Amino acid sequence: MLTRRDVLQRAGTATALATTASWWLVRRAHAARDKKLTVWNPAALAPQVDKIMQEQCYAYLKQAGIKESEIDYSVIGGPQLLPKLVASLEAGNPPDITRLGSGYVQLYRSQGHLLEVTDIVDKMQKAQGGLFPISLGTVLHQGKAYGVPQSVSPWPLVTRMDILEAAKVDPPKTWDEFIEVCKKLQKPPRLTGFGPCLGLESDTDNNVMNMMWCYGGKLVEADNKTVVLHSKGTIAAVQLIADMFNKHKIIPKGSIAWDNTGNNKAYQSRQVIFVLNPTSIYAHLADSDKELYNVTGLLPIPAGPAGAIEEITTAEWLLFKHNPYPEVAKGLAEYWMAPENLRVMIEEGDGRWGPPYTGMYDSEFWKRSVFQHWRTMLERGQLFSSPGTTNAASGEVIATHVIARMMHRVLVESWEAEKAVEEAHKKVAEIYARYQEA
Amino acid sequence: MTPSMTTSRRALQTIPGQWGKSKKVTLSMTSSRRMLKGLGNVVLVLMLLWTAIPFYWMIATSLKHDKEIYGYEATLIPQQPTLDNYATVFRETPYLLFMRNSIVVAVSSTVLSMIIACLGAYAIARLNFPGRAFLARSLVFTYLVPTSLLFIPMFALMSALRLTDSLHGLTIAYLGFDVPFCTWLLMGYFKSVPVELEEAALVDGCNRVTALVRVVLPLALPALVVVTFFSFTHAWNEFLYAHVFTSTNSARTVTTGLANFMSQDVFFWGPLMASTIMSALPPVVMFLVLQRWVVQGLTLGGVKG
Repeated sequence: MLTRRDVLQRAGTATALATTASWWLVRRAHAARDKKLTVWNPAALAPQVDKIMQEQCYAYLKQAGIKESEIDYSVIGGPQLLPKLVASLEAGNPPDITRLGSGYVQLYRSQGHLLEVTDIVDKMQKAQGGLFPISLGTVLHQGKAYGVPQSVSPWPLVTRMDILEAAKVDPPKTWDEFIEVCKKLQKPPRLTGFGPCLGLESDTDNNVMNMMWCYGGKLVEADNKTVVLHSKGTIAAVQLIADMFNKHKIIPKGSIAWDNTGNNKAYQSRQVIFVLNPTSIYAHLADSDKELYNVTGLLPIPAGPAGAIEEITTAEWLLFKHNPYPEVAKGLAEYWMAPENLRVMIEEGDGRWGPPYTGMYDSEFWKRSVFQHWRTMLERGQLFSSPGTTNAASGEVIATHVIARMMHRVLVESWEAEKAVEEAHKKVAEIYARYQEA
Repeated sequence: MTPSMTTSRRALQTIPGQWGKSKKVTLSMTSSRRMLKGLGNVVLVLMLLWTAIPFYWMIATSLKHDKEIYGYEATLIPQQPTLDNYATVFRETPYLLFMRNSIVVAVSSTVLSMIIACLGAYAIARLNFPGRAFLARSLVFTYLVPTSLLFIPMFALMSALRLTDSLHGLTIAYLGFDVPFCTWLLMGYFKSVPVELEEAALVDGCNRVTALVRVVLPLALPALVVVTFFSFTHAWNEFLYAHVFTSTNSARTVTTGLANFMSQDVFFWGPLMASTIMSALPPVVMFLVLQRWVVQGLTLGGVKG
């Protein structure tokens, strides 16, 4: 028979266990960590690139005196890395080093997970003409670096040059010209002019934002506080896309349901003449469709009233704390980013990434005609939240697809462009305000 | 035929015109039955197509070249069939190692969950102890918690116990949702087995365990087969835990190995489909084998001795 005292004792024990178990578990997870250097490298498009990076890793660790049994090297499918990383961070057992795209350095830096790597970035600044400012901007916080710039990639206008050449049409220089070229060359329904991603996906956010810049629109000012989405430029760009979709009919109707692979598939299946995407399409064609690869051009984005500004995606090496060999992990990042090692990896990737060093574009590889605009695009390109910095607020704007939803209001629900922009502005302002308070 | 039916049939025969009417009624009933049967068949064919077409599409895609996969015209039959995608899977991934890992994890978690579930279900169904009802209900609640909520605390637990990136760790993790489901399902089935049979076995000298093994389990064969099949396919198809808890090839299962054919915004459809087909084979074979036992078990239960 249980007495009242027994019940209270047991309830007390249960409460104590419930409240301390999570803390204890995380502490234990740290303590249980093997003396191993854990590397999670997201899969590149080409298996040979994965192989080169792995070989470079083992070569460096060998010279650093680390045994093979002390290395835990994994290649992880790109979309699968984040859930794994989130769980490992929560559990207090993250990898020592991994590679992620723009924005994550500042996110994990703000949460206190990252090692400071200013010394590596300082050395990189002194090599090969230094780093592109856009690469540097993604890793710096109050003068200190928390990520190692790995690559920069512009979002060019991936173009069927064979169709343009057959019709003796020059690449369009402005969006007005672009519409005319599309209307002239397309043969719907088999071949449509333009294939932007317009589903509720991050490619849509990026494509729409990229066109907004050309018309003078932007998300936030450089102070990271003043949200300026609701502007004439944004409204004009949204209206332009709506006109392309409804009036000029140069965008496939199905694009409103595409995911991030939709525009790739449309281009690879020869259903569109132009797409606005990173060079993953081009790099993938090198193995999958040589014929299309040979007739694909990477053109600069057409200009709007505010000019031509490409979107840039960067990638960085992130080194996490609780690392048994912090100096070795830093050495590995440095070794990977040594120009002679990086060159092999980048060139084997066939244009999927560009080096973050400004002086590394003088090799024969980068003199190929397909890359003739690459440098210009990098120099004038911007990140999603420019002129503001990439931070947790801009990350949430992308994660919640505010921009893509704004476009859907117009294309799917037939809202006026201004009303949709106004609604999106309020949402973005709410998000930024929340992070200011935090 | 009952006397009253015979009488009414005769009565109909004697009244001129009535017989013809009945014929019409019979005819219309037959035709409506035929229509219903036809409609049923159409629905079945549609359901069959609904189920089979994705499988066919997977097979066809695995035999196509990239150019055909991405071609404007979707081809139903591969124009130039190739086994290149299968070769790519073996060339670029340690596929046989992934397969071995999947088999080890699926078989071990199935065997363990069967043993634990049989004992647990029997105890809850037959023995009287405090908290029995609570335990039974908590089994359902445990099963209902989605894995997407559990994987982070589970990862912390696995890390603390040094069970990450190992096959035995994954096996133990799968028991977390296999055991509650299997126990719950077996519990219901054990309750339907007459207690008198066990009492007779106990009188004949069996103890609880031998009564369970010799009397209850043979009678619960259909449920055991269902539970085995569930555990195996679940462990075989599971992705989230396998992905989060393992890192190196030595512990990766087929599902996580396949994910490497997805890179950023590009999917390698050919090799992805080829490896999916190969990984679907073991559960299919298992189902074909177990299906016979399900039918046999059900038939045995339906015949009175």
